[in-house]
Amino acid sequence: MTTEYWRWKEYNWKNPDIDWKDAKNITVGVDVGSVSSQAVIMTDGELYAYSNMRTGSDSPESAENALDWALKDTGMTLDNILYAVGTGYGRVNVPFADRAITEIACHGRGANFMYGPTVRTILDMGGQDCKVIQVDEKGKVQEFLMNDKCAAGTGRGMEVFADLLEIPIEDIGELSFQVDEEPEPVSSTCVIFAKTEATGLLRQGWPKNDVLAAYCSAMALRVVALIERVGVEEDFAITGGIAKNAGVVKRLTGYLNLEALQPKHDTQIAGALGGALFAQTLAVKEGKVPS
Amino acid sequence: MMEQFQEWAQERHSYAQEWKKQTGGKVVGYFCTYVPEEILYAADILPVRILGSHEPQDVTEPHIFGMFCPFCRDCLAQGLKGRFDYLDGIMIAQSCIHIRQAFTSWEMHLPTDFSYYLPMPNHVQSKRATPFLRGELEKFKGAVEEWTGTTITDEKLNTGIDLMNTNRRLQKQIYELRQGGNPPITGLEAMYLTISSQTTSKEDHNREMERVVSELSDRSTGRSIGTRLMLVGSENDDTEFVNMVESVGATVVIDDHCTGTRYFWNESEPNGGDPLEEIARRYVDRPACPTKDWPDRTRIPHVLKMAKEWDVAGAILIQQKFCDPHELDIPALTKAFHEAGIKTLFLEFDVTVPLGPFRVRVEAFLEMLSDEDLF
Repeated sequence: MTTEYWRWKEYNWKNPDIDWKDAKNITVGVDVGSVSSQAVIMTDGELYAYSNMRTGSDSPESAENALDWALKDTGMTLDNILYAVGTGYGRVNVPFADRAITEIACHGRGANFMYGPTVRTILDMGGQDCKVIQVDEKGKVQEFLMNDKCAAGTGRGMEVFADLLEIPIEDIGELSFQVDEEPEPVSSTCVIFAKTEATGLLRQGWPKNDVLAAYCSAMALRVVALIERVGVEEDFAITGGIAKNAGVVKRLTGYLNLEALQPKHDTQIAGALGGALFAQTLAVKEGKVPS
Repeated sequence: MMEQFQEWAQERHSYAQEWKKQTGGKVVGYFCTYVPEEILYAADILPVRILGSHEPQDVTEPHIFGMFCPFCRDCLAQGLKGRFDYLDGIMIAQSCIHIRQAFTSWEMHLPTDFSYYLPMPNHVQSKRATPFLRGELEKFKGAVEEWTGTTITDEKLNTGIDLMNTNRRLQKQIYELRQGGNPPITGLEAMYLTISSQTTSKEDHNREMERVVSELSDRSTGRSIGTRLMLVGSENDDTEFVNMVESVGATVVIDDHCTGTRYFWNESEPNGGDPLEEIARRYVDRPACPTKDWPDRTRIPHVLKMAKEWDVAGAILIQQKFCDPHELDIPALTKAFHEAGIKTLFLEFDVTVPLGPFRVRVEAFLEMLSDEDLF
């Protein structure tokens, strides 16, 4: 079997310090993204459990799989959940959702929880798109901008490079710094052009790490151009899968000349987390929480 | 109640062909709303606007560079695909270079009996603009007379002016009904109303508007109005987009498009006996397209005034990809809206728009404008 270098680790997690049976308000947020899906369960405002896995070809099934995995070994079932919010591109296809809210609003709310109320600008680097979101102290969206029609600067683009260079995706960030000298970035207009250019560089005898460095910096520059259209108000934070790639993050914050806040949780769950938080509020508002 | 306008807009080609068969008259396709339709009506000619069809196409690539706007290419594609074969003539009033390219390509590859390039002045703020245009209209009238072999009398011109003015007045009256808390028509219906006014005989269109206008004030669309939005931009006849916006909790209540208010907002004023001067003044004074809005920026206060009078919560700024004139206006419009406390969403349009990704943006925009407390 060929190695799938692009394949990132799917996993689930639960908070060992919480006994959900004591909780009154149990909600879930499910983010069915273009590449990955997450389910986040919250109990009385605390993060209780989550899962992170690849999105399949069927959105409702992906939502159910993500939820099942987050619930695994908790003893909790869907019946214990008072309110569910669907988000992500498959948000209207979450079968058990009480409401759909956009991933833009959910990332704003989720980042506010993950990074605290000082965060004002969020860069979400997702599987197939990229967005800059400005929020107030509560995490309510004030302004946002999304990239247009192109996978350069997104997680899927990074997956393509992992396969091309035969390097596990989780190692890319670190390896991209193991270069003698920082190379010029590759073309950042389009992931296919970037791949073509990288193939040419490999043929010229470039070491793989240099090509990785050139791609990470191209991705960072692509995103800087997007951010500068809105402007950055600090504090600045990054969500989504690419936030885990130091090769992009360090170059990006270097170009912007600022620091990104350190996350308290997996950056990929921000959208689902925001959904679960909205669900906490909505469960109370709609009288679903027992007094 | 508004179905007839939708049918006319959707069946524009069969309408024009039928009109031709019934009347034996000539049909002229036009490329820009600065074309003085009054003179064509005075010569008993049916003017129809050439619009695109929003289908991907591969026929214009040899004729128009890829970095010209999708609208001009979509228009030319309709000709190359033979959908306007019934046209007896084509014309344009000087506009942006993109749509001029569509016109000249059409002229070269799809010859018609009559073809006319009307040099509409771009510097409409010059005091010489009206006399200049009056002179050009005189020449244009002469060309039409020569083509048709008939004389266009002042009386005929006045009939053309009346027809156009009535159409403008009625459309504006219907748009003004959308100012209230419960607009009797949707943004989609308004879009069909105006598109059909550009593709249907004004006599038929006026009759239908007169029929519906009295009933509209009591009409309810039976749907929740949601967030009141304005659309601002160049040409926009993307009905699928408006339908999507209105399906996620919003109503489009007003616009600044040349397939919307810019087309009909002002009328010709009587000046005591020179119909050509009346027509010229009307086009010089109309709400400006960005190609003509300099050195003073009249468009921005005009758009803001509408936004306030129609009480919009947000504005979607639409740009046809590569449309330079509108691209120039977007930063100034964005700033002006923000200073007025009205949030904006910028979207770039192509021949077809990606409805899914646009839907996320529109929904997030509506969530941002919403005062629902979810925190």
